[in-house]
Amino acid sequence: MTAELARGAANVADMADRDLRLRRLARLRELEPRVRPASELSRPAPRPQSLHGAERLAAAVGGRVAQTDGGSVVVVERTVRVPFDPAPLARLPFPIDPTRPLFLLDTETTGLGTGAGTLAFLIGMAWWEGELLRVVQLWLPDHPDEGAFLDMLGTLVPADAWLVTYNGRTFDWPLLTTRYRLLRRAPPPLAGHLDLLPICRALFRHRLPDARLASVESGVAGVQRTGDLPGALVPDRYFGWLRRGEAEPLLEVREHNLQDVVSMAHLLNVLSERLADPAGHARAHPGDLVGLARVYRRQGRQDDALACLESALALPDPERQAWGGGWAFDRGQAWLDQAALFASQGRGEDALLAWDEAARCGGMTAVRAWIAVAKHREHKLRDPAGALEAAASAERLVAKRRSLGRFDPWAERDLGRRLRRLRRRVARLQQIADRRAVRHPMDALPLDAEARGRGSQQEVPAA
Amino acid sequence: MRLYEPLATAQTLERFLADPAVAASIAHRREIPAREAQLEPMPAWLDPRLRDALVRRGIASLYSHQAEAVEAIRGGEDVVVVTPTASGKSLCYNLPVLQAVCEDPAARALYLFPTKALGQDQSAELRDLAALADLELAAGVYDGDTPAPIRSSIRAAGQVVVTNPDMLHAAILPHHTKWYQLFEQLRYVVIDETHAYRGVFGSHVANVIRRLLRICSHYGTTPRIICCSATIGNPQALAETLTGRSMRVVDRNGAPSGAKHVVVLNPRPLDVRQGIRPGALGLSRAAALAFLRAGRQTIVFGRSRIAVELLLVGLREALRDGRGPLQRVRGYRGGYLPSERRAIESGLRSGEVLGVVSTNALELGIDIGRLDVAVLAGYPGTIAATWQQMGRSGRRQDVSVAILVAGAGAVDQYVANHPEYLFDASPEEARLDPENLHVLLAHLRSATFELPFADDERFGEQPAAELLAFLGEEGHVRQAADGRWYWASENFPASEVSLRVASPENVVIIDTGGNRPRVIGEVDLFSAPTKVHEDAIYLHESRQYHVDRLDWDERKAYVRPIDADHYTQAELSVTLKPLEAFAEAPLSGGQRVHGEVMVSSLATIYKKLKLDTHENLGWGRIHLPETELHTTAWWLGVDPAGVASWRRDELDRALVGAGRALLTIASVLLMSDPQDLGLVAQVRSPHAERPVVYLYEAVPGGVGLAPRLFERTDELLERAADLIRDCPCRSGCPACVGPSNDDASPKTTAAALLRLVSGTSRTRTSTAAVA
Repeated sequence: MTAELARGAANVADMADRDLRLRRLARLRELEPRVRPASELSRPAPRPQSLHGAERLAAAVGGRVAQTDGGSVVVVERTVRVPFDPAPLARLPFPIDPTRPLFLLDTETTGLGTGAGTLAFLIGMAWWEGELLRVVQLWLPDHPDEGAFLDMLGTLVPADAWLVTYNGRTFDWPLLTTRYRLLRRAPPPLAGHLDLLPICRALFRHRLPDARLASVESGVAGVQRTGDLPGALVPDRYFGWLRRGEAEPLLEVREHNLQDVVSMAHLLNVLSERLADPAGHARAHPGDLVGLARVYRRQGRQDDALACLESALALPDPERQAWGGGWAFDRGQAWLDQAALFASQGRGEDALLAWDEAARCGGMTAVRAWIAVAKHREHKLRDPAGALEAAASAERLVAKRRSLGRFDPWAERDLGRRLRRLRRRVARLQQIADRRAVRHPMDALPLDAEARGRGSQQEVPAA
Repeated sequence: MRLYEPLATAQTLERFLADPAVAASIAHRREIPAREAQLEPMPAWLDPRLRDALVRRGIASLYSHQAEAVEAIRGGEDVVVVTPTASGKSLCYNLPVLQAVCEDPAARALYLFPTKALGQDQSAELRDLAALADLELAAGVYDGDTPAPIRSSIRAAGQVVVTNPDMLHAAILPHHTKWYQLFEQLRYVVIDETHAYRGVFGSHVANVIRRLLRICSHYGTTPRIICCSATIGNPQALAETLTGRSMRVVDRNGAPSGAKHVVVLNPRPLDVRQGIRPGALGLSRAAALAFLRAGRQTIVFGRSRIAVELLLVGLREALRDGRGPLQRVRGYRGGYLPSERRAIESGLRSGEVLGVVSTNALELGIDIGRLDVAVLAGYPGTIAATWQQMGRSGRRQDVSVAILVAGAGAVDQYVANHPEYLFDASPEEARLDPENLHVLLAHLRSATFELPFADDERFGEQPAAELLAFLGEEGHVRQAADGRWYWASENFPASEVSLRVASPENVVIIDTGGNRPRVIGEVDLFSAPTKVHEDAIYLHESRQYHVDRLDWDERKAYVRPIDADHYTQAELSVTLKPLEAFAEAPLSGGQRVHGEVMVSSLATIYKKLKLDTHENLGWGRIHLPETELHTTAWWLGVDPAGVASWRRDELDRALVGAGRALLTIASVLLMSDPQDLGLVAQVRSPHAERPVVYLYEAVPGGVGLAPRLFERTDELLERAADLIRDCPCRSGCPACVGPSNDDASPKTTAAALLRLVSGTSRTRTSTAAVA
């Protein structure tokens, strides 16, 4: 039976036969498309690369070919004038040593993962030579050139370089490290690494729609990109080059990467001129200074934090248009932050003045201010009656907001508890005062003990 | 007789078996004699700190198998250790690994366990031993539950990394550059519970290990591999297929054991003629009660979570009101919290817990010490699992008892009627096929992602280039000018592959019962219409789920946990087309063939069957599109001349009946679930122009069952004939050829057909069948 099927297959040992496997593979090829998602359907067969792939790439992106034993690399160079004084950066609460050569780096990759199969095919870097920013792009012409590509990066990174990236701490640098390890080489040593992404989140995110580098650049440095290639399209451009030899579409990748690198230079400049140097605070957005003050405070640098807040509060409300149409400055929040700083330094009077300013801003800021005042009076000043008044003011504001349809569950819960406790304490104190007034002075001792006992009981329901 | 008084194990057994209701059910009993310990001195090269630690644990010398294993490993061999439950297997790998760390603290080892719980258990054991030896050891579990900060410290400094194949596949290998410290110093790879790696899972894991060894050689290491397996028929072949290395087998058990009484009970049928039988639960409960009331430590294995619950409720009911040690009987199954499980395990070791009712969650090497009695409520499906569960009872000195209570199913009945099979046959073989093209291609993508392939490189046995060219057509892989093959895609291939299913396109099963929907598993597309059709009962980790909705286009099944007394079984309308015969050989009245087939199936209806007795409770329709399966099959052709005088309907029933018996025996022989194989009978095959019975593998591409059936066809036919002959029913029942209506008797014709094909004409058989 099945003689026509059994052709060429005499025994089970044939299972290991390569021809058989090829026939099965051929059948699988016919059958598979029916069960495979469309996204995985076969694409046109790869076109063999011409021997002069690197030359063609260089011609297309306006670079030159650097030939080494390990392969070819395409190098693109530019200079851009970006006057920049790194020295003030030393004052900022960020990990940066401006006495070292700052080395800006941004990669373009074949994907967003950092697994071993994701490739960096373009490394854009930049460093200052006086007022000129020298930008160098290394392009990988093909997979086998990767050794030469990484070697060249190694020669360009100065031994004591301070790396500056945007999200490079979790992405670009680990990815490059992976590539070095894959080729069993050591990644270039670094003196340090400043990742601008978390800094931009802390300082600028309050007035930007997102923390993409292009958004930060337009909102902070006022540079608008036109026709910028969305990052998500970058991998396909490179695969187009690898598979079909399409070099022209890489021009947009070149510009995208160039702009990203230059953007980082602009951001460093903004950090240095407007934020690091107190003399520049006048030209800063006050909200950015509030953000900076918080970073200072987290690091225990309270005086620097207060100086930033002073600068911010001294500035007029920024005009929206001048700052890329972003969000307005939340002055009340600045007052609240300042008051909290004063309070923690024991400058109670200054704190109360700042809370007073915050309370005049109305809305939730005022509610927070009154609650903070209530806490301060109750715990620092030992004035439950005053605290009760402050809490009651907050409660009136919350009630008013509620009547306008605005509900603040956090404030309602907090105030509910606070008011109950304060009322009990005030009533208790009143009672004690009343009793002390009628009793004989000789009874004072046991009465005190009783009051203390009751007092500690009071804390229990309050908790 | 008082209900509740302490009594020795042996006397309790006699008293239980003397009960007339039980005595009538005894199918077999046998005593396995006691064994002395075979001891060897500690190896001289062992670090004194380790020697002292063992002495502090009361271990002054090694069992012979431990000594043989550690010496072979020391000698640089790859080893597979095959010994029964609780014979001190973990020392066989912990000692060489700790010794390596003593000699060189930079040495590293990777431990693979099939489940997270086992990994936790064994890493605790390893740490205890290291602490006793006063040895600084960084051993960490790296699984889905490991918090991020601990992950990075395990990567950087973990001398022993304990993980599972799924994590290795999806998290470690694709990110191997972050693990370079491990791979650069990797001395040992330990693969415990090797027998768990069979079928589709095993085929995947074999490829994961190919990828692992490829990464190791990239970092310049060639780790030794230590496998540990329960007793199965082909441990060496399994370990060699799994690892691609030749293995030294260590299987002479040197651990002592007391005498053991093994009893097989087959509950009396309710109706002999139609073969209607009670389930295994009643008699299992009675057995457990007898021993619990006598104060004997007893474990009862149920086959599903619901069976465990029913047994537990029954036992508690019977032990209430001072009629037994109620508080000392516990349940144990998947879904219990780890702390609950740990409490039960230590209670069993201390003796505080007297009885435990468990699913097979306790079957895999978790340490609960040794008990007096094991009761198996139903045949666990394989000889190997049976001995593993029975191995839970077994005192070093004292007598122990293992009782198997057969259920009503076909395989259970075969075992009950052929108990010698349990004792004399070699245990089943574990099959896997790393060359399954679906599986192989999936891992080849991941391997290319991890490291480019040289043009002449092999992946497993064979050159990878032509498969890479195939992947190149999809565009994910490309060959560069240097001839090497590179990954050239944005995709992360490991995330597209689950080690538990064969083909990349799956139906995801989502549990909507909790606070948030949660993915609990997946089934391949071909099995989806029968396993997760609407209103199906889906079993996951011995827990029942009801399928509320199947979104076919989105490939999602929405389920919620329930406790039902039934399961569902779907009926398929199947057409099969052979594509190529890989091998063919004549039989005296037909042919045996192994080849590739295309199976189209349409799920039509499903039946609700009672869990214990398989009694039919009702049915429903299934409305789903036809699915196609490209797989391998074994088939049996019948020479038309031999059946020329048979009526067509007679022949049809004979083929189906013989096919059912063959299917039962095939799953017994090959250590596979009966659902891993499908049956198609054709009275006149359009391709072969003759009657054919096909058994096809229910997994795309197959896992190597079909070629093995081809090799063992003679045995298969003979045992199928025995099964039919020895079944006590009159004209066919679910335990042999399937139920029959009274006038037609497929039992006789099916047996005749099998004899016809195999050429054995035993008169005794035919008279028995006619009578």
